[in-house]
Amino acid sequence: MSWLAVAKKDFRDAVQSRALWALLAVFVFFSVITTYAYVEVPEAFGAQSGEVSFAGMVFFLAGITGLFVALSAIVVCYKSVAGERELGSIKLLLGLPHTRGEVFLGKVVGRAAVIAVTLGIGLLIGVGFGALLLGTIQVVPVVLFVMTAVLFAGVYATIIVGLSATTGSTSRATTLALGFFVVFELAWDVVPLGVVYVANGFSMPQQMPDWVFLVMQIPPSSAYFSSLVALLPAFADEANAQTQAAGFDAFYATPEIGFVVLALWLIVPLVVGYVRFNSTDL
Amino acid sequence: MAAIELEGLTKHFGDVVAVDDLDLTIEEGEIFGFLGPNGAGKSTTIDILLDFTRPTAGSATVLGHDAQAESLAVRQRTGVLPDGYHVYDRLTGRQHIEFVLESKAVGQDIDALLERVGIAEAADRKAGGYSKGMTQRLVLAMALVGDPDLLVLDEPSTGLDPNGAREMREIIREENERGTTVFFSSHIMEQVEAICDRVAIINRGQLVAVDTVDGLREATETATTMWISAADVDEAMLEAVADCEGVTNAVYEDGQVVVTLFGGSKYDVLKTLDSAGATIADFSVDESSLEDLFVQYTTEEQEVRA
Repeated sequence: MSWLAVAKKDFRDAVQSRALWALLAVFVFFSVITTYAYVEVPEAFGAQSGEVSFAGMVFFLAGITGLFVALSAIVVCYKSVAGERELGSIKLLLGLPHTRGEVFLGKVVGRAAVIAVTLGIGLLIGVGFGALLLGTIQVVPVVLFVMTAVLFAGVYATIIVGLSATTGSTSRATTLALGFFVVFELAWDVVPLGVVYVANGFSMPQQMPDWVFLVMQIPPSSAYFSSLVALLPAFADEANAQTQAAGFDAFYATPEIGFVVLALWLIVPLVVGYVRFNSTDL
Repeated sequence: MAAIELEGLTKHFGDVVAVDDLDLTIEEGEIFGFLGPNGAGKSTTIDILLDFTRPTAGSATVLGHDAQAESLAVRQRTGVLPDGYHVYDRLTGRQHIEFVLESKAVGQDIDALLERVGIAEAADRKAGGYSKGMTQRLVLAMALVGDPDLLVLDEPSTGLDPNGAREMREIIREENERGTTVFFSSHIMEQVEAICDRVAIINRGQLVAVDTVDGLREATETATTMWISAADVDEAMLEAVADCEGVTNAVYEDGQVVVTLFGGSKYDVLKTLDSAGATIADFSVDESSLEDLFVQYTTEEQEVRA
């Protein structure tokens, strides 16, 4: 249970940082603003005021959560391991009887806890605020929504801590984290289009091949959104939230694919981060 | 049993040889000084003992455990004051110690420990506000947690004023009397002299001397440095000179062969050089003190390297 001591230390360290409280404030602010905007000015988002629903609000919030979790995971985690190596505090940490794996796992758990707790509180306040405005609340979907968001935050923390564990330089860790964000969250829409374009002899086909759906599921925030659709199908219908899985027949054409992708995003960074961190000279 | 045993320990960083075929045995209960200039390979050696760094070749055994395969067992029984560390700025001194207690799964009176290193009054202040000396005391306290069988202290006097350095030495002595082996590195001969049973001098990754402080002092009295002005000197000649009895060191700089000699024959050195084909113009001899000896072993060679 040595990783637990590391995670506790890390969390304790973070709790005393102003950045953590700033993060909490940001989460509360953004979720309250989001729900307020959705309920009060739906026209701004292409909806009719009559269409406003609790389900719609939850999915609207979820869409923005994806982006926010990604950004906050980068801020909270990019220095987690690389920073300790650059400063030298890793020598105090590893002078104690912890294995590298335990330190890495402790870092992942500690940082994930920081994001998950702040995000969970922020979302609950936002949903609560929205429920007050709408005069309705559905407890079970809210619990599922917040739990999925918290799990997603854990996955994102793992990705960024994993990247941080591959290097001893914070500037390289920053590059890796931002690069990951740019490639997988900003530019990813273009990737399958480009591949299709080239594969089709440098022209766009009439209809996208089925596998494009699978490629589009790769960004963690897309996988999170699909997972939420899978968990709350009735809500998703009502909110008109879709994963583009409909319309063709393939074993992967289901929103549950989101869980598989999230699981991969949990395992791959853990393995890569551990292998690199475990074999390096500090 | 040996507390630390290094066999053929070698570490390369790319082309740079940081530690070069080190053999060293430190007995249990010793206070052992590891002396050398910055960049000599002291910290790399210590990093290998703690598995921060993996050796290129050779082995390190600490307290009977392999330093790589059984590092956890090593670190459970070892207290570490590393070099170039950084504390957690936002955690208090007390929280640092709590973390160590939890990590080592031991219980100890935190206040008594901080009292012992002289920062009890700062226990509940954040370590980020500590002075360099206070930080050093905190990390020493962390090293003392759980009454370790081995203390590894890398440049322990860094940041301490003379009074602090003296208190540090007292604590090292107390721990040693309790049976703890102490392995500490320094680049200052004086500190090592004051407290160590035995000393190893390391330079450019190689051991240049291992002896008791008294033994070193005795050797110093017979130690001689020869400055030989000579032309046409090559590597092979220096090696031939280094092979002469009593010669520990031979380098060529600014047209002079500098030879460090312990009790050997100066004549042999000159003859070897001459018969190898060097053109000897002149030579002078210098008997050195303990401090000179260290400087001779280390600083000058560093300059040659640079």
